[in-house]
Order: sequence, then C-alpha cells, then structure tokens
Amino acid sequence: MIQIELLTKLYGDFTAVNELSFSLQPGEVLGLVGPNGAGKTTTMRCLAGIIPPTRGTVTICGHNLATNAIEAKRQLAFFTDEPRLFDYLTVWQHLNFVARIYNVADFEPVARTLLEELELADKMDKLPGELSRGMKQKLAIACGLLHAPRVMYFDEPLTGLDPMGIRRMKDSILKRARGGGTVIISSHLLHLVQEICSRILILKNGRKVIDGTIAEIAQQYSGEPGDANLEEVFFRATNEPPRLP
Amino acid sequence: MIAALFYLQWHTAKNRLTMRFKRLKQPKYLLGALVGGLYFYWYFFRVLLMPQHHGNGHFPVTTQGPADPLFFESIGALALLVFIVLAWVLPHKRAALTFSEAEVAFLFPAPVTRRTLIHFKLVRSQLRILFSVLFLTLISSRFGVNGHWLIRAAGWWVILFTLNLHILAASFSVTMLMDRGISNWKRRIAVLLPVIALAGFVIFWAGHELPQLTTDDLTNLQTIKAYAQQAFASGPLPYLLFPFQLVIRPYLAPDGPAFLIALVPALLVMLLHYLWVIRSDVAFEEASVEASQKFAEKLAAVRSGNWRNAGKKLKQKRAPFRLHPAGPAFMALFWKNLINAGSAFTARTWISTTVFVVVLSVGLHGFGSSSNWSFVIGMGALIFGAWTLLLGPQLARQDFRHDLPQMDMLKVFPLRGWQVALGEILAPAVILAALQWLLIIVAVVCLAPSARGHFSPGLVLVMGAGAALVAPMFNLISLTIPNAAVLLFPAWFQTGKDAPHGIEATGQRLIFALGQFLAFIVALVPATAVFAGIFFAVKFLAGVTLAVAAATVAATLVLAVEAALGVLLLGWLFQRFDISGDPAT
Repeated sequence: MIQIELLTKLYGDFTAVNELSFSLQPGEVLGLVGPNGAGKTTTMRCLAGIIPPTRGTVTICGHNLATNAIEAKRQLAFFTDEPRLFDYLTVWQHLNFVARIYNVADFEPVARTLLEELELADKMDKLPGELSRGMKQKLAIACGLLHAPRVMYFDEPLTGLDPMGIRRMKDSILKRARGGGTVIISSHLLHLVQEICSRILILKNGRKVIDGTIAEIAQQYSGEPGDANLEEVFFRATNEPPRLP
Repeated sequence: MIAALFYLQWHTAKNRLTMRFKRLKQPKYLLGALVGGLYFYWYFFRVLLMPQHHGNGHFPVTTQGPADPLFFESIGALALLVFIVLAWVLPHKRAALTFSEAEVAFLFPAPVTRRTLIHFKLVRSQLRILFSVLFLTLISSRFGVNGHWLIRAAGWWVILFTLNLHILAASFSVTMLMDRGISNWKRRIAVLLPVIALAGFVIFWAGHELPQLTTDDLTNLQTIKAYAQQAFASGPLPYLLFPFQLVIRPYLAPDGPAFLIALVPALLVMLLHYLWVIRSDVAFEEASVEASQKFAEKLAAVRSGNWRNAGKKLKQKRAPFRLHPAGPAFMALFWKNLINAGSAFTARTWISTTVFVVVLSVGLHGFGSSSNWSFVIGMGALIFGAWTLLLGPQLARQDFRHDLPQMDMLKVFPLRGWQVALGEILAPAVILAALQWLLIIVAVVCLAPSARGHFSPGLVLVMGAGAALVAPMFNLISLTIPNAAVLLFPAWFQTGKDAPHGIEATGQRLIFALGQFLAFIVALVPATAVFAGIFFAVKFLAGVTLAVAAATVAATLVLAVEAALGVLLLGWLFQRFDISGDPAT
C-alpha cells in the first residue's frame, strides 16, 4: 500500500530526513515517533506530496507520488495537528468543495453520515470561527474521509480533543485500519502509539533508528517481549535522558 | 517597580530594532529597505531636512507660520472638539487598557498598583504616539504646512498625547458612571444635549449677527472662508473653542519663542489631564484581560496570514452558484474564492446592478448632449476602467496571495498545477471583468452622444465590445504576475511577525508594482503589434469599423494565448513550490 525507498530531504546543508525506507500493508497502523527535530513532520509532508523529497521514491497504492501525483493523492488523506480550514466556508460548503476536488459524485449521503458520526450534523451552516477547536478537528476529519481514502496520515491527531473525542478518534483510526486502510500516525504521545499502532518507527536526526512491532523492538532494546514499555524503549533507542524519578 | 517596567519597555524596543537590523542580512529585506528608504528620503525627508531647496512652487514649504493662525487654530480646535465628544459618546464598555497576553500574565498577578500599570501604559503609548508624530510631521511637511518641522513635531506630540490622556480619562469616567447605574444612553444624551444646544446657539447667533450667505457664495471657497473667519473671531465660538485652541496653538507657532509661550498653557492642560487619569480609581483589570485576549486573537489571526479578517466576526456568505460534485475541479477553487469575495459577487447582484446602470445611463442619455453630466460620467467610467486594469489586480486578491497560508492543503489535492492556478486566479479575473463590463456599458451609453461627428455609432459599439473582449484577458495576464511573485518569493508575501514592516514593506511593494507594470507592458507588445498589423490591412480593404473589430479579435486571441501560457507557468511554479524551501516560512 505504501512503499518508501531511500527518502531523503535536504534543506541546504541540513539533512531533515536521511535515506528512510519502509513499506506498509493494508490494515497496518504505523506509529512514527522521535524527539523534536527528528524529521517526523518533514517525513509526513513528503509522504503527502506537500513538499518534494530531495531524493528517493514514495509509492502510494502503486502510484509513484512524483510521477503520478494525481492518482497517488486520490488515495490519501492528510490530517494535520492544527486543522486547516477556510474561514469563509461553512461546514457543509467545506464538504461540497472537497467533493468537487476529489470528484465524489454522490457526496451528500456520505457527507451527512460523516457529520452524524462526528456529531456535526447540527453545525452544517456554521463557519469555522464559530466552532470549538475539537469541532474544527472533526470537520477536517470529515473532509479527509469524504473520498474514502485508502491511506491516511495523522499528525498529532489528539491535539485539542476532549476525552470523548480522544476515544472516538482512536476508535475511528482502528475502524479504518480494520477496513483495509493504511494509517501512519506521528505523535509524541507514546501511550497512544503503543495502544493503537501495530508497528513503530523511531526516527532520530532524520534517520530510522528502529522499525518493527512493539514486541520486536522491545526485544531488541530490553529483552522483554511481553508487556514492553514503549517509553523505555524510546529512551534507549534515541539515547535520550531517562525519566526523572 | 516603575524601573522594571521601563526596563521591559526599553529592552522590548531595543530588541525589536536589533532584530529589524539583523534581518537586513537577508536580501529580500535589504533590497526592500534600500528602495523604501530611498523613496521616503526622496519624497519626505528631503523636503523636511532641506526645505530651502524644495520651495519650488509646487509645495509651498517655508519656515514661516500660517498667514491666519486664528483661523487654523479654530479649525484644529473644532476637530479636537469632535474627537473629544466622540470619546464620551462612543464607548459602550468598561474602561480597558490593552496589554499583551504576556504583560497580563506577568504584571497582573505581580505586586503592582493600578497607578503603576497606568503609568506603564502611558509610557508604552509614547512609542505609538512618537511614530504618529513622525508620520504626521512628514505628511504635513510634504504637503506644505508651514513652520519649522521641529515645532510641528513637538506640536503634534502635545495634541496627540493630550488627546490620548483625555480618551483614557473619559473611559475611566464612563466606567465610573456605569458603576453608579448610569446607562450608556443616559450618558450619551447628557453629553449630546448640551453640545447640540451650544451648536444651535452658535448657528442662531451667526444667523442674526453675520451677513447671510447666498447660494452663489456657497460655491466660492474664499467667501466661505471669510464667513468662517468672522464666526471664529466674534460671538460665542472663540470662548467655546478656547481650551481646545490652547492645545492646538503650539503646533501653529511661527517660531521658537512663540512656541515656548504657547507651550506653557498647553502643558498645563496636559498636566490636568494626567492628574485626572492617575487619580481615577477604576477597576479596569477584568475588562483589560478580555481586551487583551481579543487583541491576542487578532494577532494570532494576523500571524496565521488571515490579516484581512483579523478581529472581524465573519458572517456566512452566500455561494455565488451551486457547485455540483462532478465537473472540472478548478471550479471548486473558483467557487471557494468567490465566496471569499463576498455576497456582492453573486450573479443576481451583478444582473440587477447591470440593469440599474443601463437604465441610469440611458436615462442620462435621454437628457441629451446639452447636459455635460453624461460626458463627465462616461469619461469617469473610462478612467476608472483603465485604473482597474492597472491597479485592480493589486486590490482583488482572492487567489494564491490569500491562500498562501493554506498552501499545504492545496498541495495535497489531486489536481494538476494548471488546474490549481486557473482556479485560484479565476475569481479576481472574473470580478474585475464584471466591473469593467459595467464601466464599458456606462462609457458607451454616456459617451455616444459626444462621439457623434467623430465616430459612427457602429464604431463606438465595436470599440465597446472590443474593450469588453480584451479586458478579461488583460486581467488574467495582470494577475499572473503577482501570483507568480507569490510562488517565486513566498517570504516576500509573508504576514505576521516575520512579515516585512515599515520601510522594507514599502520598498518591496514599490519593487513589485514596478515589476508588474514592466511585465504588463512587455505582455502588451505582441498583441499591440498584431492589432496594428491587422487594423491597417483591413482598414485599407473594408473600412475602420471592420478593421477595429478584426484587429481586436486577433489581439484578443494573442492575449488569450499569453494568458494560457501564464496559467501554465503558474501551474508549473505551483508544482515546484516548496513551502519549506524558505527557512522563514
């Protein structure tokens, strides 16, 4: 579903992402973690086609993101940590707009179902400025899911959500994965990553430090495959200072 | 405590200035600063610093004071009176001193008295006032207000600081009245009634004591001025305006000694205001926190690139047309940008406006050529139309310039570069074209009578239709240039704290305006050549009217090709656009 080969992104002399390679199958949920400045956001932006990689290839559902960007982008949705919305479009107009962009012919029933699921059905005529932070996040999610993407990227998906919103977001991500979607989540919340991701990829200074299931990476770093603690593994893998007592 | 606040103020200003100087290392700021600096020097400072070299008759700059100080004093005093009445009438909320969120977080919980906070606020307001003083001194020097510039600057400071103190004191007093249960409307009536009564008394006095103005007098500025001079010099007005004149007088002083004499009473008025402000014991903290939050929201909106809507409560706008989910995707961007442009840009509005304009123009036409109004309106429409061609693309910005902060979202869409580019620039192009078509209709209808004898009605119609044909192409070409600039130099179009300010911003705008003008001229060359070639060839064979029609169609085709190439270029630039390419972004 996703094939990344030797992805590299340079900013002048600075290497933000360095020869990153991995692949994901349908139904997999990858947690992309790393300290600040590790290259997570740059990686996500390269995978979404927002910024061009300096070297390497990104293939989405068999379509090369560089040479067949349109078909590749049709398959994906990118959810940023800060919902990006148009201030002057209402909730419904956002969905109408996205439907035309992605050519979702019969979008109205899908949009209504999504709004119901995300508890936005009574906010259809509201502008983003009239919505709370959590509702804006939900609207961004509705827009992203309207065209039924097969690949989804979430950048810090729980930012600004209340406990109920967090629960629903986690359920929603797992539901999409069970339905055959491929998900990449970038987050600093290690307990979230451990809870819902089937695979973990730790980045440091733009390089892949480790990639595998929780059990695999725990075995590699602590020799404890059972109830491994991702936090401990993270500190060991990145050589970050241990937790304060 | 006040020392700590001075420390904060001083270092804030110093660090801000240092940062501005440091970023001049980047060419985009340095170039902007150089061009902007040259512009300001050439247009303002040169006149200010060397007035003897520039008293060339166009701008009567002298070091002498005004010929009739009482008249100007009275005019200034009247303006001040209006501001002061508004300071009592307009407020509808409790007094609030606007602080930054950091200041609220650090100062409000700190052991700082209200009086110290007010002093801090007054000291901080000096920066803003001094900037205004500089600006107003430059403007008044440039446009021929007499007197030495140092006296004018000091005079402006006295006026602005006194006004600032009065507005603050008035807001405190309004709050105290609210606390005593006096509503806004009761207060407004209590303020406006005496003002209206005094104005009525002055009018009554003038009606009885001064010679009446005839209708002809009202068209003569000198007569009106003489009448006002009499009113200001006698009767009740000199007494009513006296306290305000005291504040204005230093600004109009002709020399140093006169300034110092005028300054003493003005400073006394200022001192009384200062005592009024610091002795007011009003709880402004809660309202200040609210005002600071609003200010922070506005700032956040500006920093996220949404400076146009900063501080505004957006209202839902009517969609210009129903957007079907199937069809060319660029129409979605066009539709979105039209919604952004506002409710005025719906088909219904334009059709009704066109009908109204046509009826009005035909009505004017019906008055016949004896009326000059038709000619004046027609020429006005032509001039305004030409103005929209040149400056319209700078004002209608519902395109990449507006969507720059959302560029990452646009990049995720499964669209080709040209589709995004076309969708983005179509809305301003269509808005400008609609406006230009209206103006063309007005011009054709209104100028047709005057054109009789020079051009045949058929030729006038062909010229109108030709202008309507080429205008959209001109718009598309013109819009390509600023949009290409956004994609090539995004950092130059940044908003918020990293955006260029002041002299750098002025310089950058000048560079872009010049670049756009030159590119526009270059784009016109092929179309003009084709127009000229076909016009002369067809004129020889079939007459002027057909020649104009054929040449216009050919020139439009050339412009259309150029516009299409422009859209392709924009699309290519969009695809290559790397939002992380500039460290400043």
